[in-house]
Amino acid sequence: MFGIFMESLVIFKLYTGLKLLFALTLFAWIYLLITEKERRNRLMLVYAPLIIILLFLFPLSRKFFVAAGLDGETYYRILWTIPMGIITIFGFCRLFERHRRIGLVVTAALIVLCGKYVYKSEYISKAENLYHIPDMVVKICDLIEPENPDTRVSAVMPPELIHYVRQYSARINMPYGREMLVPQWKYYNAVYEAMEGTEVVDIDVLLKATRDEYCQYIVLAPGRQTEQEPEECGLVLVGEIDGYRIYEDPVSVKIVESWQEYYEDEE
Amino acid sequence: MILLKIFSLLIWLLVVPFCMGLLILPLLKQQQRTPGIALIAGYIFQFTLLELIGIPVVVCVTYNGFSTFLKIFIPVLVVSALLGAALFWRRHSMENGWGFLKENQRSIYSFRKMGWEERIMLVLFLGLAAFQLYMAFTRASFDGDDAYYGVQALAAQQVDTLYRINPYTGRSTPVDVRHALAMFPIWEAFLGSASGVHATIICHSVVPLVLIPLTYMIYYQIGQALLKKQDKHLTGSLTFLFMSLIALWQIFGNVSLYTTETFFLTRTWQGKSFAGNFIIPAVIWIFLKLYEEESEKGLWVLLFCLNFAGGASSSLAVLLSCLMTVGFGFLFAVSKKRISIFIKACLSCAGGGIYVLLYLLLTHGLLGV
Repeated sequence: MFGIFMESLVIFKLYTGLKLLFALTLFAWIYLLITEKERRNRLMLVYAPLIIILLFLFPLSRKFFVAAGLDGETYYRILWTIPMGIITIFGFCRLFERHRRIGLVVTAALIVLCGKYVYKSEYISKAENLYHIPDMVVKICDLIEPENPDTRVSAVMPPELIHYVRQYSARINMPYGREMLVPQWKYYNAVYEAMEGTEVVDIDVLLKATRDEYCQYIVLAPGRQTEQEPEECGLVLVGEIDGYRIYEDPVSVKIVESWQEYYEDEE
Repeated sequence: MILLKIFSLLIWLLVVPFCMGLLILPLLKQQQRTPGIALIAGYIFQFTLLELIGIPVVVCVTYNGFSTFLKIFIPVLVVSALLGAALFWRRHSMENGWGFLKENQRSIYSFRKMGWEERIMLVLFLGLAAFQLYMAFTRASFDGDDAYYGVQALAAQQVDTLYRINPYTGRSTPVDVRHALAMFPIWEAFLGSASGVHATIICHSVVPLVLIPLTYMIYYQIGQALLKKQDKHLTGSLTFLFMSLIALWQIFGNVSLYTTETFFLTRTWQGKSFAGNFIIPAVIWIFLKLYEEESEKGLWVLLFCLNFAGGASSSLAVLLSCLMTVGFGFLFAVSKKRISIFIKACLSCAGGGIYVLLYLLLTHGLLGV
């Protein structure tokens, strides 16, 4: 039980970052605890958050959470029910009720100094298009996407493209996806092993794996080294986009086309 | 063509939810019947219908699930919106419109009458909100979960299936029961199909332009409820001070990857962000109002819908909004020494309770799909 309590405490620390912005919330909460007279506001912004934190840290809560079939990794979202922004801003509005202009300047300065600017995040970049995925992915997908909307192609992609490909076209399948990029999920995939398991790609091994999966295209990242020349192993270079080499495997293409013809005849 | 798509998006994202909200407005008191509340209520109603129609389709329809869903969902939305508009028109001609237009006129009038302090704070807030919209449109935010949620929307649109393919690979798979009851990505796919826009563009470039202002509409209601004073100018000043600082708080609230503020501006289009930034604030707003007007039927109806509609964003959202409802209901009942508040709060969780029960049955394999 103590272990679960400590884990919940760590989750709380990770959530708030134990940064100065949390100190502002704590300050506003204490201010409201001492000065707020309206009963409703005390109930919702002073007592309720305290109860939620106690329940959050109580070990049985987490056990119940997981027993309900919810993902233990999302336990931190219980803390979403504490409106830290509302508590802080309301507290400061109350504090500076009679000196609003000073309050605006002081509180804004405190938020800027204590907080972290969201647009400075390493995950945010200038959008290259309305899809908000890299242009290069769009070009690669346009090259290999089937013309017939009822058919699919399968393509092996380098890890940096995996998240984006199917956001652009759900008609491009992949033998493996994001699940292989999250180590703690511990998935195994033969194509992934052949593609990413070694520093230098053994095309023969890769082709054996991709043909088992009837994968028509292989995309190699710029500078990716191979044991053999892909063309010598039977692959056809159909394009090169921003250094990414896109190869077609005629063997898989032929097999998949024969299925498609069969299904069309059936229809 | 682009103009037509934009027009279509405006219809589905603003006009239809607004008109749907007009159906709920008569249940609210005169002073609550404002355009902002009509839009908020319309979205709550729309997401209730989304779940009500979407869940049976996901569970029962194996092939062409998305087109089946659209065949039911679109007519229901259109009929609801038309009913709302017709009802408003009828009442307007009879009673001069539920005070709705009067309210509207009053707000325009009060803008002219605003003091400098109010104006500066309002402009500051609008500037910060506009900046967030600009950044949402022009900045790409990478998030690994898009490979799941974004692709579910696109798969519905392009492959006509609901939660029956693995979004990572594209292969067929049994229904993903852990996520299948949360229809938020399917709502985005619906917007895409109804307006002829790629679902990923809807997620990343369109939906944030609506959800960010929608969240601020709720914060505005919260600010007004918390900071109401006898003097209108003082209320206005304090509310806009609250709004300006809340907008700034959102921009600087990225203290960890997990805060609602981080989700709000970097994952706006994901259901979980909607849970943290619409569903939960909406519960708070409704309870702030309920404390003063416990007998107001419309608020209880909205709360009932919200506790079920939350399921569109994530299964956890239903649990959180129901827990908040029961918790606040209990605190209010104790505070006012009236058990009826607690009973009503529990009853308003009935829809959410059925959702949770269905979720448990599906995830524990007691109900096969």
